[in-house]
Amino acid sequence: MNKLITLIKKDTWVFPYLKSYKKLLVLILFLGFMTIFCGAALMFTSGFLISRSAQIPENILMVYVPIVLTRAFGIGRPSFRYVERLVSHDWVLRIVSKFRKRLYQLVEVGTKSVYAKSQTGEVLGVLDNDLFKIENFYLRTLFPTAIGLFVYVLITIGIGVFDWGFALAVFLMLGMITILTPIITIVVNGARDYKQQQLEGQLYTDLTDSVMGLQDWILSGRTSELFERQQNDFNAINKIKAKQNHFNWWRDMFGAVIIGATAIILLIFATNHFGSDSFGVNWIAAFVLAIFPVQDALTAISTGIGEWPRYKNSIQRLNQMDDKAQTELQENVTQEKVAITHPEIKFNQVNFGYNDATVLENLNLTIKDGQKLAILGQSGAGKTTFLKLLLGDEQPNKGTVTINNYDVKTLQEERSSIIAVLDQQPYLFASSVANNLRLGNLDATNEELWQALQQVSLADLVKSLPEGLDTPMTEMGNRFSGGEKQRFALARVLLQNTPIVILDEPTVALDPITELNVLNTIFEVLADRTIIWVTHHLTGIELVDQLIFIEDKKISMQGTPQQLMVTELRFKKLLELDHGDLTDK
Amino acid sequence: MLDPRIFKFPGAKRALGLLCILTFIQAIAIIGQGRALSIALTKVWEHKQLQSVVIIILVFISAYVLRQLLGVLKEYVLAPFADKTTGMLQSELTKQYANLGPSAISQLGTGKSVTLAVEGIDQVHDYFTLVLVKLFDMMIIPWIILAYVFTIDWKQAIFLFFIYPVIVLFMIILGYAAQAKADREYETFNRLSNHFVDSLRGLTTLKQVGLSKKYADNIYDVSEDHRKATISTLKIAILSTFALDFFTTLSIAIVALFLGLGLMNGTMPLLPALTILVLAPEYFEPIRNFANDYHATLNGKNAFADIMTVLDTKTVADSDIYHREQQRWQADDTLEINNLNYQYPNANNNTLQDINVSFKGHQRVAIVGTSGSGKSTLLNLLGGFLIGKGNIKINHQTLPHLQQKDWQSQLQVLPQKPYIFHDTLRNNLAFYAKNKTDEALIHAIQVVGLNDWYASLEDGLDTIIGEGAVQASGGQTQRIGLARILLDQERRVLLLDEPTAHLDIETEIKLKETMLPLFDGRLVIFATHRLHWLAQMDLILVMRDGKIVEQGTLSELNDKQGYFVALQSAMRGSKK
Repeated sequence: MNKLITLIKKDTWVFPYLKSYKKLLVLILFLGFMTIFCGAALMFTSGFLISRSAQIPENILMVYVPIVLTRAFGIGRPSFRYVERLVSHDWVLRIVSKFRKRLYQLVEVGTKSVYAKSQTGEVLGVLDNDLFKIENFYLRTLFPTAIGLFVYVLITIGIGVFDWGFALAVFLMLGMITILTPIITIVVNGARDYKQQQLEGQLYTDLTDSVMGLQDWILSGRTSELFERQQNDFNAINKIKAKQNHFNWWRDMFGAVIIGATAIILLIFATNHFGSDSFGVNWIAAFVLAIFPVQDALTAISTGIGEWPRYKNSIQRLNQMDDKAQTELQENVTQEKVAITHPEIKFNQVNFGYNDATVLENLNLTIKDGQKLAILGQSGAGKTTFLKLLLGDEQPNKGTVTINNYDVKTLQEERSSIIAVLDQQPYLFASSVANNLRLGNLDATNEELWQALQQVSLADLVKSLPEGLDTPMTEMGNRFSGGEKQRFALARVLLQNTPIVILDEPTVALDPITELNVLNTIFEVLADRTIIWVTHHLTGIELVDQLIFIEDKKISMQGTPQQLMVTELRFKKLLELDHGDLTDK
Repeated sequence: MLDPRIFKFPGAKRALGLLCILTFIQAIAIIGQGRALSIALTKVWEHKQLQSVVIIILVFISAYVLRQLLGVLKEYVLAPFADKTTGMLQSELTKQYANLGPSAISQLGTGKSVTLAVEGIDQVHDYFTLVLVKLFDMMIIPWIILAYVFTIDWKQAIFLFFIYPVIVLFMIILGYAAQAKADREYETFNRLSNHFVDSLRGLTTLKQVGLSKKYADNIYDVSEDHRKATISTLKIAILSTFALDFFTTLSIAIVALFLGLGLMNGTMPLLPALTILVLAPEYFEPIRNFANDYHATLNGKNAFADIMTVLDTKTVADSDIYHREQQRWQADDTLEINNLNYQYPNANNNTLQDINVSFKGHQRVAIVGTSGSGKSTLLNLLGGFLIGKGNIKINHQTLPHLQQKDWQSQLQVLPQKPYIFHDTLRNNLAFYAKNKTDEALIHAIQVVGLNDWYASLEDGLDTIIGEGAVQASGGQTQRIGLARILLDQERRVLLLDEPTAHLDIETEIKLKETMLPLFDGRLVIFATHRLHWLAQMDLILVMRDGKIVEQGTLSELNDKQGYFVALQSAMRGSKK
């Protein structure tokens, strides 16, 4: 319980938003209440109407008001419900728009310009799903509970007007479903829900292992073991689910019985109060019948509250995002406004490390305007770190990284006009071809787009598409092959028209022939730019005029490929291997 | 609404029969409850003392409680059947996945396979419990109530009877209208709703082009567009629920009105009128409940159909024809493939065409060719994960295909990315060779060059690795795969599918040193892009467009000056 209170107190994602669009929110609660009120009032007036009619009044006008009211409530109930559903969805989706922007900004802060392998799509999918859960939390737990409790209080007050003794009786009776059962639900099901979530996590992991590792299971002849494990997982979950269900069935039955008992209390109350005079008796049926339509509104509280454990994790996860983002917020540095066309990059005695582990030590390097530099090294040697330092995503612990003597951290606002990046997974958005290209330059004309496509040899392909430049890239650019995707990304880089281009293993996923073709195109169209190319093998290495090896936190080899062929035996060997040393067997 | 296949499951007829009987009794209880309440109300309306209605109230209470109790009972009748059946479907499904094998599963989609076995089964469970109850309620309760109302006042009964199909009709019409609108807007809708995740995934790219900050407003705007589109679709989608609600409440209001008029004319006493008024909502309740859960019905039905489709997919027969004579693949064993063709289910052309090749003993065979030339498909056929058409012989024994238990139990596979199970390092290493001592495992770790990584693990062999735990880099993953192979000396046929494609050249060279000794005493079939491996191979198969266009030793192929030589120079980038 304490945890719940701290969660609500510290929460910045769910409850604070109840203050936005307040009028809409009040409207939702009003409409939700009116829906239930009309349902009850319909039975109330109907009960009165036929009771009164049975006394055979001389004139139809005697029952005219109840007739009109019966019609009005009959139409009112579905209409209010319809509008309530629309308005509540509208409100929630308005909040979701805010959520999305906020979540995007949070993720944006933590994202670097260099592609990170650990940042998988699944994590983002989880976050999106969390937003969906909060949507449901509002719609299925928060609103029904608020409305249910309001109805509960109003019923008590309504009877209290006539008789406080009976009001107390009804208050206590209905309290069993509005207060008591929700608490019991949380207590009983809360622990089970936690266990269930754990088991479900286990089931997903095991099942993913079964499906992804299926080949190994089959080859090892261990499938029967797999079935047994899977069966155990299923059984454990099904058992706990059955328990949950049994509890819910009896709880709902209990709720219904309480309503029945309340009906009898109301019967006694109404008979005591109105049974004595000939007009008053007509209210008896009215009071008793009106309680039944209220049942759904009251039992909805238990159902809604019972779902809380499902939402809790999502709310916690989103709140933790805030803390993470706050620690990642960078210091503000005064930004320079300069146009750089002929850059000279300098790494001056740069030291860098994460926590205790030094990655780069005393690194000195000058990259001249127009130079084509290749950076080699094993994975984990610090190639990616080198790029992050150059882009200003990370700051050196010691030393400086400058472009034309401006520290890169002062060039962050201008960066996208100085440095472009082509990485191994260029992302193509589920938008049109033209929109994807224009990310490089928002003001590019169609002619410029075609020119870029021409340069990367994609013009013919795009012309052959049904809607040309307006053809949608299907999600993740699945419409195109790996080589074509890289070419699209290259066209985007061309349009960005920056003096420096970083190539971060852009051809890692391609086969050697496609790889060579793409590399040839890249170096051809970017002939006048400064290129910094990180690569893990030597295909196309002849295309550069300078080459460095990063090893043991330092630059271990440096020179032109031709020089290194002569001076470095190791490089010569690697090159031979990479090119297939097929002559001297 | 009801899939006839349900009846085929054991216990279905009994469960549904019981459900029928219980629902019938429940309908009687509902009538009893309504009648008793009306009598009590009428009596107090006639100024009778409360004491005089005690008995009838007790009747009301009993009927009311009985009705609720039956509701729970119905769940108890269906639950065991649903639990048993879905449990059975679940285990059948995992068995079927294993029978279909990895290639068929990747065509179905690994994500979908997992969801189907978890969420799909859940939906079917709901379908078997919730939906069946509501369906039976709808088929039984209203008609018994109607029959009873008919005995009280046939005119009201006829009104109630005719309004029913009108309500259903309206629902159907509006349902179609909503569907049509949803279909029309499906694409926009989908695009808008995927936009957010799409943007998050593309954040790195947005950062690179310097648009990531500005894009936040775009996120908001698109989300707002999405909201407007959702609301406009919702307006129509929930119209059918509105219609149902509207017509039922209005019907009740009309019934009340007619009853009132009848009463005023003196043609009807209060008791029957009140009874009808109390029973009218009960008459409409089942269809309302059913309509509210219509989506659950659809989901459950579709999931059920999907699962049945997977279960009905034909699996390969005759997987136990081949019986090997010796424990291991021997130096004089042969595998012959003649005129083998393979076509993917949805493809127009053969992916493999007229494959003729024979493997002998502990040969080292390389398969080279560009992407899409059929290298991986050939490896999958050799591993028995795909079934082609052609003649296959092992040691002169003719086999229909290679999905043979005794063949697969000799195989070892090293793919581009070996799968790391979410399990301890020990279990991951000893996956093929259980009961290995820790010394043997640590020895294997040393041989494949994982010492440093191993030393960095806190719990040693008990460290949990894999997705969501300690991650291994590409090179480390390959080394774990190699250790698995190393630890199982019984298997002597090794299939490798571009195992070094994602590694940097130096890591690859180091790995090569570890791999080459493993090739001794094994039949090795190795698909690769990297030319330096070819020097160590006895036979090279050159593939192009699904055919083996050249085969021979390296020097034979070099002498030929054919496609292989052209391929080599294209890969190497040397000018022609």
